[in-house]
Amino acid sequence: MRITLTVNGDRHRLDVEPRRTLADALREDLGLTGTHLGCEHGVCGACTVLLDGEPVRACLLFAVQADGCGVDTVEGLATPDGTLHPLQEAFSVCHGLQCGACTPGMLMTAAHLLAVEPSPDRERIRAEMAGNLCRCTGYVGIVDAVASAAGVMAWRPREDHD
Amino acid sequence: MNTDHVPASGTPVRRKEDTRLLTGRGRYVSDLVLPRMRHVAFVRSPVAHARLAGIDTTEALAVDGVHAVVTGEHPALASVALRAQSALPGYVETDQPPLARGKVRFAGEAVAAVVADDRYLAEDGAEAVVVDYDPLGPTVCAWADPAGITDPVHDEAPDNLLLSRTFRAGDVEAALAAADVVVDRELTTNRHSGNPIECRAGVARYEAADRRLTFWSGTQVPHLVRTQLAELLDLPEGNIRVVAPDVGGGFGVKAVLYPEDVALCLMAIAMPGIPLKWVEDRVEHLLAATHARDHRYVLRAGFAADGALLAVRADVWCNTGAYSVYPWTAGIEPLMAGGLLTGPYKLTDYECTVRGVATNTSPSGPYRGVARPATVFAMEALLDSGARALGMDPIALRRRNLILPADVPYRMPSRLVDDSGAYEACLDRAVEVFDVRRWRAEQIRRRDAGERPIGIGVALYNELTGLGRAASAGPRMPFRTGHDACTVRVNPDGGVTVFSGVTSQGQGLETTMAQVVADALGVAYDAVDVRIGDTDESLWGFGAFSSRQAVIGGGAAHLAGGHVRDKVLALAGALKEVDVADLDLRAGQVHVRGQEKPIISLAEVARVAYLQSDRLPEGFGPGLEGTEFYDPIRGAFAAGAQLAAIEFDPTTGAVRILDWVCVEDAGRIVHPVIVDGQIAGSIAQGIGGAMYEHLVYDEAGNLSTGTLLDYLMPTSGEIPELRLDHVSTPAANPTGVRGVGEGGTLGPAAVVAGALGDALGVELDDLPVTPARVWELAGGRP
Amino acid sequence: MKCPPFEYHRATSVDDAVAALAAAEDSKILAGGQSLVPVLALRLARPTVLVDVNRIPGLDGLDVRDGVLHAGALVRHAALARQALHPLAAAAAASIGHAAIRSRGTLGGSLAHADPAAELPAVLRACDGAVVVAGPDGTRRVGADALFVGALQTDLAEPEMITGVELGVPDAWGFAEFARRHGDFAVVSVAAARFGDRLRVVVGGVAGVPHLLETSAPSGTGALDEVAGALADDVDPSSDLHGSAGHRRALTRELARRALADVITEPAREPT
Repeated sequence: MRITLTVNGDRHRLDVEPRRTLADALREDLGLTGTHLGCEHGVCGACTVLLDGEPVRACLLFAVQADGCGVDTVEGLATPDGTLHPLQEAFSVCHGLQCGACTPGMLMTAAHLLAVEPSPDRERIRAEMAGNLCRCTGYVGIVDAVASAAGVMAWRPREDHD
Repeated sequence: MNTDHVPASGTPVRRKEDTRLLTGRGRYVSDLVLPRMRHVAFVRSPVAHARLAGIDTTEALAVDGVHAVVTGEHPALASVALRAQSALPGYVETDQPPLARGKVRFAGEAVAAVVADDRYLAEDGAEAVVVDYDPLGPTVCAWADPAGITDPVHDEAPDNLLLSRTFRAGDVEAALAAADVVVDRELTTNRHSGNPIECRAGVARYEAADRRLTFWSGTQVPHLVRTQLAELLDLPEGNIRVVAPDVGGGFGVKAVLYPEDVALCLMAIAMPGIPLKWVEDRVEHLLAATHARDHRYVLRAGFAADGALLAVRADVWCNTGAYSVYPWTAGIEPLMAGGLLTGPYKLTDYECTVRGVATNTSPSGPYRGVARPATVFAMEALLDSGARALGMDPIALRRRNLILPADVPYRMPSRLVDDSGAYEACLDRAVEVFDVRRWRAEQIRRRDAGERPIGIGVALYNELTGLGRAASAGPRMPFRTGHDACTVRVNPDGGVTVFSGVTSQGQGLETTMAQVVADALGVAYDAVDVRIGDTDESLWGFGAFSSRQAVIGGGAAHLAGGHVRDKVLALAGALKEVDVADLDLRAGQVHVRGQEKPIISLAEVARVAYLQSDRLPEGFGPGLEGTEFYDPIRGAFAAGAQLAAIEFDPTTGAVRILDWVCVEDAGRIVHPVIVDGQIAGSIAQGIGGAMYEHLVYDEAGNLSTGTLLDYLMPTSGEIPELRLDHVSTPAANPTGVRGVGEGGTLGPAAVVAGALGDALGVELDDLPVTPARVWELAGGRP
Repeated sequence: MKCPPFEYHRATSVDDAVAALAAAEDSKILAGGQSLVPVLALRLARPTVLVDVNRIPGLDGLDVRDGVLHAGALVRHAALARQALHPLAAAAAASIGHAAIRSRGTLGGSLAHADPAAELPAVLRACDGAVVVAGPDGTRRVGADALFVGALQTDLAEPEMITGVELGVPDAWGFAEFARRHGDFAVVSVAAARFGDRLRVVVGGVAGVPHLLETSAPSGTGALDEVAGALADDVDPSSDLHGSAGHRRALTRELARRALADVITEPAREPT
């Protein structure tokens, strides 16, 4: 099927099998391998991206379902000149990542959280980040990072997709 | 200009890995795309034990996009077997085929491989392969009566016993007879596994023209894999390149050369010019990546009336699964269990028989902490029982028996030599940070008020890290993992590239090695670039396991940095006609000691070394690099103490962690934030194993917990805030570090079980501590 | 873990969806996909056609008429959690999974999937609600008590599709659940709703269908324990990896107490 995806503001035309997940379309067809697959059954959260601003598991959504939609992935967080997003900066400073496999999903989940709830306390952060498994950090650095980024964030999900 | 060199070590410099990993530009094997690449899916056995009566690939080959279906009988694979070797007496060597041959030995074993244009099509093909299984009697439990074995897992071991060894010191029977108090415990621990977020992955490419194999693999041990592949594939080792780029977590699970890896490489050789890619999915990972910690301990300990630990006698069974894990052998868990069961406690009379028993389950392998999360649970259970029987405070009883600084070096009853003695310091600090008195008061307050009970759990542990050639001799494998190499190269522009034998699966080794080299050489952290994980780039490293890399790889980096520094100063001294003894290299500038203004820059020295041989003084050759190996011979014990206050709800069985304190002795610390990250992450995995994670097989050998809906890893909602603190007793190695990657996993099972016992006055004999189990132990009021 | 091949039909209307469902031998509705897609990825089902109903207009409405919430089948859990018209449904929806699950999962999908441990089937039963179902022969209304037939089984026939949901807004309500981890399917959940003097308490996770206790709303000292006790005696749970039968019974009693705390008001005790 022919579909159109607007990913991080760039419009792409693709021809995909109906069964192809959005995650595989991003990774394999568009080469955006920042979105990771950790379980492919909707539990680990590594593949979390924003679909029209809402967080979704890209492994549980077929690419054909995203036809005409806007998708935000980890590749779109930093500015084109390489300046890190405040969350990326905070994850680095607070050691909110080790191997980096869960990181894209963590960042997108946190980006959405802070967009809808700019000042969550640590307990809220722990509750809202609980849909993303991390195996390295014990979550300490992740909670620290989200809490610290909340203070400096002005980012909102893109509103420029059509 | 201030040219004072600010040491990189000891400061939380920005990790070199972070920018690419945070921006989605990591380079994982799962991401790799090569021209003409095809994808592999494995057909896995749905039964635990069966003869292979036939495999029909006709339908699979008819699936669009499927190019080949390979079975264990394929000529490229038929004669190859992985055979984990050990010279230990009584060890039974067995073969593991790359794809099942003749029979399958566990549910999930790879039986055939389908090669197709993409993974979707490969799975379509795999679904169409028809396998005829002729069932055999499965063995699932490693301590079942051997008389019940109808069909042994391997013919070579009719009783399924692959290994057994008795550790003996003193006279345990006499010591038990002389004890004032004797306690008995029978414990089982829960099978669980590493489950990194990136599962296993490999891409193999063979170029027939020059007989070169490149294997991109998410392995923790690329050099070891290269050596093993050379042997198994009959290729010159120099023709094999193993590349471990960014790897999404390992935790020991990826320190194994798997049959799938070997099958992939053999298939690639059979299909020259076609890169073959296999990315393991989570269901495969739960089924067929190595498991761990499926143990039973039958224990007896004797204490004197004053609390002195007099004797420990132990019988240990470790479920090694269907194969002796390559190359570590079925001894990996039992030998570690017997060698370190007694932990940080002084003991002279000890007898411990450990067994590695084959079963029709996924093979057991290295997993962060190897066996010791179970042995610490066992040892601390003995001490908790002892404290109860003696009427002593459990912390006081532990303190009474600890190996103290004055005892060091202490020869443990297993003959390992403990160089730490920092246990009491860790305990003291933990008691202070945790504030035991406050929690004891809260415990009493709750009891009096009729509120939910809380318990205090404690665990003390010793973690043998950075094993040198003497310490790694135990398993008697055909290799000794004591050393690593590091090359430090000053480039013609004065920049520094480090080729280190370490590997990283998230531990930030690029950063740590850069810090060590920057300081040893005398350049800024930012001037150092580190290359790891590629056997064509670095000379040698055994890789990531046994919390060895900061100790051994760091030692090699320090020596190599120092070596090159000496070369730089010698050349600078000769060029400037200054006595080299007066020279110093700081922040990339050579100074005469005590003088602010540098006499020459490192860049200038490098330019001479590479580009201006006409300026080279007599006796100097071109180039500016050095390679050093380091082997600590023994190893560095790292001490740790964990304390927690945990609430148990007798009505629902809910477990709530109220406070968790961990104090470790990591020796001298290179990167404080990375070190804390290792400790926090390992505690979280320990809590997972203690409370949530359990790989459950049914009696027929089917895995009941085959997805992440049933295999529960803790989330940010379960892991509490962790309070970490340190004591620091530098180890006797070049950087003074002690390994830190695993220690955190050692405490939690003991801590949670101990807290439960403390809260409810019960003894817990099995793991994990689930709400259902807590509710039951609390009396099971319906 | 890649899904087997299927044909994809993006429905433009309810009639179009029903026609597409009827036209294929083994078709399935694709709504939120949070339960269906994992099943496909595990290759435990292989429908020939997936009928994607996500873009059918007009199925995401929420309004209250005559004390009944009328919700479209495509109302996402996130939207249900955010609305204030039906606080019990909001509380239950907020307990489902995680943000990325709630942003896709739908009310109609959850009811049609009929997982006995899921939150919304319990709420439907507690509120004596109903689903509106479209089929080849028009629409019909199926009450909660008739809808759930067994674990993952409903009264719906193959080409039928839930289009709307009716949930009476209770006078008082309570919801409590116990899960192994944050966001997991509950081991046991209890939804309680009082309509006038009629009390409906529903337990999820203890049987193939949400278990209902219907009683006249009791009052007086000890009423809470009485209902919780009756409910615990009434259920007949089984054991699995996450809880034994006895544990589930104990959870039923305790969660019923918690859920009913705001529903049954006991007279204030005499100060002692």
